[in-house]
Amino acid sequence: MNYLIRNGSIIDPARRVATVGDVLVVDGKVERLIDMAEMGVDLGPLPEGTEVIHAGGCVVAPGFTDLHAELGEPGYEQRETIATGTRAAVQGGFTMVCAMPNTNPVLDCAAVAHQVAAIAQREAQGHVALIGAITQGREGKILTEMIELAEAGCIAFSDAGRTILDAGVMRNALAYAAALNLPVMSHCEDSRLGLNWAMHEGAVSMRLGLPGLPAAAEEIIIARDIALAEDTRAHLHICQVSTAAGVALIRAAKERGVHVTAQVSPYHLTLSDTWVLGTLAPPPLPLSAATPTHRGKGKNRRNTAPELGLPSWLNPNLLPPYDSSTRVRPPLRSEQDVEALIAGLNDGTIDAIASGHAPRTRVEKECEYGVAAPGISSLETALGLVLTLVHRGEMDLVNTVARLTEGPAQVMGRSPATLRPGSRADIVIFDPDRMWTVERSQLASLSKSTPLQGQQLKGQVMLTMVSGQVAFRRGEFGMHGRGGPQSSKITGIFGNVE
Amino acid sequence: MSRRHMIDLDQISAEEIEEILVTTDSMKEVLSREIKQVPALRGRTVVNMFFEESTRTRISFELAARALSANIVNFTARGSSVEKGESLIDTVRTLQALGADMVVIRHSQSGAPYLVAQHFHGPVINAGDGRHAHPSQALLDLFTIRERLGQLAGLKVVIVGDILHSRVARSDIWGLTRMGAHVTLCAPPTLLGPSHYWLATWPGISISHRLDAALEGADVVMALRIQKERMQGGLLPSLREYSRHYGLTPERLARLGEHTLIMHPGPMNEGVEISPEAATAPNSVIEAQVTNGVAVRMALLYRLGG
Repeated sequence: MNYLIRNGSIIDPARRVATVGDVLVVDGKVERLIDMAEMGVDLGPLPEGTEVIHAGGCVVAPGFTDLHAELGEPGYEQRETIATGTRAAVQGGFTMVCAMPNTNPVLDCAAVAHQVAAIAQREAQGHVALIGAITQGREGKILTEMIELAEAGCIAFSDAGRTILDAGVMRNALAYAAALNLPVMSHCEDSRLGLNWAMHEGAVSMRLGLPGLPAAAEEIIIARDIALAEDTRAHLHICQVSTAAGVALIRAAKERGVHVTAQVSPYHLTLSDTWVLGTLAPPPLPLSAATPTHRGKGKNRRNTAPELGLPSWLNPNLLPPYDSSTRVRPPLRSEQDVEALIAGLNDGTIDAIASGHAPRTRVEKECEYGVAAPGISSLETALGLVLTLVHRGEMDLVNTVARLTEGPAQVMGRSPATLRPGSRADIVIFDPDRMWTVERSQLASLSKSTPLQGQQLKGQVMLTMVSGQVAFRRGEFGMHGRGGPQSSKITGIFGNVE
Repeated sequence: MSRRHMIDLDQISAEEIEEILVTTDSMKEVLSREIKQVPALRGRTVVNMFFEESTRTRISFELAARALSANIVNFTARGSSVEKGESLIDTVRTLQALGADMVVIRHSQSGAPYLVAQHFHGPVINAGDGRHAHPSQALLDLFTIRERLGQLAGLKVVIVGDILHSRVARSDIWGLTRMGAHVTLCAPPTLLGPSHYWLATWPGISISHRLDAALEGADVVMALRIQKERMQGGLLPSLREYSRHYGLTPERLARLGEHTLIMHPGPMNEGVEISPEAATAPNSVIEAQVTNGVAVRMALLYRLGG
């Protein structure tokens, strides 16, 4: 099947392209881009069997790459399987998912890697890349056979949610991986600073009487690992940075030329520890009051325009207090940390937005906060959450798309997903203005655990194409023309196209 | 009656506290009668769900429920289905199906009563959850102070001890400050946590690391229990040093004014945070706290279940 995607707002960060136009997909590849200047020009006959997808008012972009998701299989099929996880991924616009190795058995040897690759080959709806463990059994002691893991297709190494507390082991891991030119993804948490922690240590944890994990627990591991990366000349990748000081450390390291990259999750970018308060949290400010001062000290922030029809602020009051859906590793941090993460994403300190998808079962979640398993099912809400920042004027749409496409590809050392003619047609079409309400029962992921239940988000994936085939289509999207080009109200960069 | 549950004092108003204290007065009158029982909750079933060991609070709620003629059932985690891995939610649903009308819960996990409240149709009373809250204890403290000193507004109350892990402190702070008292928290920094978190969470309180200074002009001093596990966790070098610098020793007792109330939520480690001399001094109201506890819990059961 061939496709002509018509009248979309095309954003292709890898080629610095942002235009309104058409994308022709033939035989699984991008055949041609027709931009504004050429519109109306007779293209000649379309190839046989070409379906026209009407994408007016929507953004057409390369499919998103997710650096950090747990797919559960093998071993935790009750949480997620490769089939359900990748279905959730394509519904969220991700055409490539890097699977974390915290499976059972742990993906710490080539045999398991081959098994996972075989399942993915058979059942995945999108592309799956493998991340191998850094240490055997993720125990932080003995290195895995990284060369063989790399030969089996692993694109990075991570102990998935565990920090190698022994600095000597971490140093060796970085040195060993450096020879392979692959990144070591470090989860940064010195758990000795927060035994049995349940949330971020701060005023909220003090009020709720929950054991806290101080920001310093992340900072000292980031600082340590940067020093080790500098020493070994390895590629260090910081998973899920969540603290302001962590961002500052990465920024400084980048400035002096250390090969360090970083990712952040959509929920750490938008939600803070006040979400654990639920109905005890102060109600969100009305939009009118929020514009100039609400959590803002950044100068070029909050340049929101009321006529854009902004979404209501995300509202923590929809949750009861101590709702275990807000429990995640690393924990939701303070408002100041959220600010710093957004700034880090805007200035390039943070390279990528990764879903941090951590599916958990009802049994693991429906219990007391302190014993609930940390993890948020986030593939399907990732785009809607980060677009909240775009709608508030805190992030630029093109940069947001870049952090979901080009950024993660560069971390992986791959050529970025792009709409360049001749590339594999992994494409996402999303409507940045579409309002929708998160309903957990409608999630494709096996895990329905999200703190966003009932929240209104603005911006939703309408169609995802993997290797030139439609992997997900919302309703009958694109089947009926809307009669001429539409412009996206929010993008601004496109102006009005008539 | 707008309130359905009594889980913490975070959002309680001064008016509601006032109402509870007035109801407590009436309950205390009931308890002074020859026949200490009224039929207010006859035919209602109250379940005491205790997932953590407690004697005094459980008995206090039990006596309160009986004085109101309610049926009271004790459910303790030991020997129950909880040990077989049954979830809290399932336990609550089972008790509901068995006909429980009200639940009193004590649990080691902060926030557990909120989980119970989501799955139980009737009122839930928190009898202490983790480090979070112990509202009936705080209300009996308020009642006892007011009974002895006539008012709460303008008083200086010093709470000394393991504030970081104390649900009593977390509820007392809300209740006392809501009624216009000033609260000073006194502890070594390891048992307090970062002071700025406290000040950000409860503006208007004071923090002190020196008990003698904090006691200047105090109307009430409340000592909290020190658990021996805190030393294993590295938070305290020794009980000896703690006792000398943060304990209510006979010397400190002598320096206190005789009108300064001495309180303790119990159970006490006599000789550690409080000396036997201080515990039994004429200005100690520790026994009155226990007595008033029954009346306060009657008031809560009556107001929520009546």
